[in-house]
Amino acid sequence: MDTTEIRTQIKEVIANATSIDVADIADNSSFEDDLGLDSLTLLEIAVDVDHIFKLNIPDEELSERLQHLRTVQDSVDLVVNHRSHKNVGV
Amino acid sequence: MDTRVVITGIGLVTSIGIGREMFWENVLSGKSGISEVESFDTSAYSVHKGGEVKGFSHGPFVKNIDSDHIGRASQFAIAAARLALEDAGVAPDDINREATGVSMGTTSGEPNQIELFDDCCVADETNQVSPYFISSYPCHYIAGHVAAELSLMGSNMMIPTACAAGSFAISHACDILRNGRAQMMLAGGADSFSRITYSGFARLLAIAPDKCQPFDKNRKGMMPGEGSSMVVLEPLDLALERGATIYAEVAGYGLSCDAFHMTGGHPKGDGAVRAMEQALAESGTSPDDIDYISAHGTGTKSNDFHETVSVKRVFNKAAYDTPISSIKSMLGHTMGAASAIEAAVCSLAVYYGQIPPTINYEEPDPDCDLDYVPNESRQQKVRLAMSNAYAFGGTNASLILKAYEG
Amino acid sequence: MNRRVVVTGAGIISPLGDSPQAVFSSICEGRSALGDVTLFSTDLMDGAQAGEIKDFLPQPYLGKKNFRPLDRTGRLTAAAVQMTLDNSGWTVEMREENLVGLILGTMFGGLHTIAEFDRLGLTAGPKFVKPLDFANTVINAASGQTAIWHTLRGVNSTISTGGSASLQALAYGMDLIRSGRSDVLVSGGTDELCFESMYGFYRAGMLAGSISGQSACSTPFDIQRNGFATSEGAAFTLLEDHQFAVDRGVSTQAEILGYGSGYDYSQGKDENIAVKARAQAIQVALDDARLTADQIDIVSASANGSKLNDRYEAMALLRCIDLENVPVMAVKSSLGDSLGASGAMQVVLLIEAMKQSLSPGIQTMSKADPDFSMLENNIQNRPVEIRYALANAVSADGNCCAVVLKNISDE
Repeated sequence: MDTTEIRTQIKEVIANATSIDVADIADNSSFEDDLGLDSLTLLEIAVDVDHIFKLNIPDEELSERLQHLRTVQDSVDLVVNHRSHKNVGV
Repeated sequence: MDTRVVITGIGLVTSIGIGREMFWENVLSGKSGISEVESFDTSAYSVHKGGEVKGFSHGPFVKNIDSDHIGRASQFAIAAARLALEDAGVAPDDINREATGVSMGTTSGEPNQIELFDDCCVADETNQVSPYFISSYPCHYIAGHVAAELSLMGSNMMIPTACAAGSFAISHACDILRNGRAQMMLAGGADSFSRITYSGFARLLAIAPDKCQPFDKNRKGMMPGEGSSMVVLEPLDLALERGATIYAEVAGYGLSCDAFHMTGGHPKGDGAVRAMEQALAESGTSPDDIDYISAHGTGTKSNDFHETVSVKRVFNKAAYDTPISSIKSMLGHTMGAASAIEAAVCSLAVYYGQIPPTINYEEPDPDCDLDYVPNESRQQKVRLAMSNAYAFGGTNASLILKAYEG
Repeated sequence: MNRRVVVTGAGIISPLGDSPQAVFSSICEGRSALGDVTLFSTDLMDGAQAGEIKDFLPQPYLGKKNFRPLDRTGRLTAAAVQMTLDNSGWTVEMREENLVGLILGTMFGGLHTIAEFDRLGLTAGPKFVKPLDFANTVINAASGQTAIWHTLRGVNSTISTGGSASLQALAYGMDLIRSGRSDVLVSGGTDELCFESMYGFYRAGMLAGSISGQSACSTPFDIQRNGFATSEGAAFTLLEDHQFAVDRGVSTQAEILGYGSGYDYSQGKDENIAVKARAQAIQVALDDARLTADQIDIVSASANGSKLNDRYEAMALLRCIDLENVPVMAVKSSLGDSLGASGAMQVVLLIEAMKQSLSPGIQTMSKADPDFSMLENNIQNRPVEIRYALANAVSADGNCCAVVLKNISDE
């Protein structure tokens, strides 16, 4: 799965968690400022992304990761980095 | 308020003791009720502890109704109700049935029953769902079963306002008595441990891995628990007439809503402040008069900070002179039972002149700089005690109990 | 303090429509809310029918917003409360200035959300349960969500007493205003149609036709009745201190005069106790309203087709009310039983009955039990001038609540 596909899937996750149209989610949209998401929604997005991409982020790390998840791009980077780190193909 | 309402009996089912005496002795000695969760498998979770009530048997308590088809919270509630009546010196057969009611709170009702339902669904055995599911799951059956067990025809309420439910139930019971709709009320709250509740809080990253440390600098979260507390409430004149022991008088209460966030409080504690102010106004007291605050004190970074801010907003300088402790440090968060247990604690603090500690307090947090009664209980005259509770859904309750002085 | 409590607005969402007038007309025209269920399969329930609000969407009521945080129960609540606030003139600005409370009656809250949350934990593991769904697993979730949605910062409470929940909520709200603790609040109830509750009722043999060999008859008081039909919906009234309403120049529809409540501690097993508990609640309501039974012009019954509970209610009413002459409406005959929402629906429709001077008939009834055969007088719609009305709601296990209302549209 390339970065574009990852980005598309993540935008769908965000759309499901927020009822915001995928078309209205820009690559660099900020979760809080642009999309108006609260902490609970952000957590749900992180959990869904973890589930879909099988990141297996331990709970102990999740809290910290959430602090750095500010934009759509941050979540794409999270997936890309995690997958390359684990040498996951496709 | 014309009719004065007093607490004349207290019954408790908790992880640190069944019954008022055992509970009070243990809560003053700072006993922890936290242990490894046994009621379900936590190996797939990153946390494993909670405040389960271990070894509870409903046998001695559920005598009149069929105990096979009632949930755990109902069992707790019936036990606590019977213990409260016994503590009040009221024989169940002597109760005026038409004039005695039940007012209770809960967060989840009987979640174990929907869990059984779901177990069937997931195992593709939906047709095995129990025919008793629908008469054991709905939360109003908790209050209903207490009434059925004790043959009580009076007003029967279930107010599931989550973590503030006990206070809502007790304050409602007071209103019922003040309005002359009953001569005695059993009021309190009950909740049972469940994987649903545990999973949810674990998913919110809200559960502490080892212990609950309210107001501590390194606090890591709350600890799910379970239990029940029921109090006997009566109009003062009736209590005096029968020579009842009066633990405390209900002086006033306040209820409010943040209308801000479902699981987090208002950033400036607006709702919490209003609830405290209403309770103070109704009881005709000022913050300087309050000798002890039973905190909501869940042990999460957020609650304990915001609660401290709210208390300071209402109490100003007096906040620094008012001991404030959280028994959730010992019991964990017993959900709908919590504020009912805390009302019992305030009543006993007032009656005995003793204040329970906040245990596991190791390092002060500069942002939480009040006197949290760290680790050791205290002998201190408590004329007025305030109990605060803040719930999911942003609903808040403050209850003030005062010493009965004639 | 003993202030007067008045109704200045109402809202309803039901399978028969989303305005009090529309629902009332439907009932008077003999329409039924019951039909095939599309939300879930009823294969395990012999294809039992239920009252489903087909194609319910919150957008027409609440605008285009993010509805993910709200589940069906939350959406129904927020939508019905919006209409209630609108037609009582409580604007957003006014709600920001004043503390408006919300008292929500519900039997189950978001039961479907609770179950789905749990089942996902079982199948995908606890790591992947949904945080937004967890917020809705507490029974007071819809009340909290709606308060956020509509800036309702007064007392926020949830009452769960089974089928009597939203009438108990009304009584609770009335006490808050009467005593001076609140000036204004929204009170009512919601329950959603979901597989879990409907199947639960089916497994217990409580649904009409769920005992094999019987064809379903959920007509209240009918001699052939064999259970109830589940339904869903939300209904609310805006309650205010009378003087407050007068000062802001709004028209008042009805006054809540008093209530009584109690519990059948036999939980339906002993007719004497069952009838006594119901009758006591009704008598206390009359006493609280300072009325005698002969002043009641109409009764809105809780009856839903349950063999025993309908009988208990009829026998209790017989003790207090002249059922030969006083019309009895039983809206669950048309709407089905919307559980925690039903009491509030009864009140909203009673107010409509007051406006139209008409008691809607129980049109599917052919014959009632001999002990209360006079209820057959209510098969057709009955014209009636209504000054005082009695609403009665009782849960399956016997949690009773009776409320007395007064028509003050001429004040």
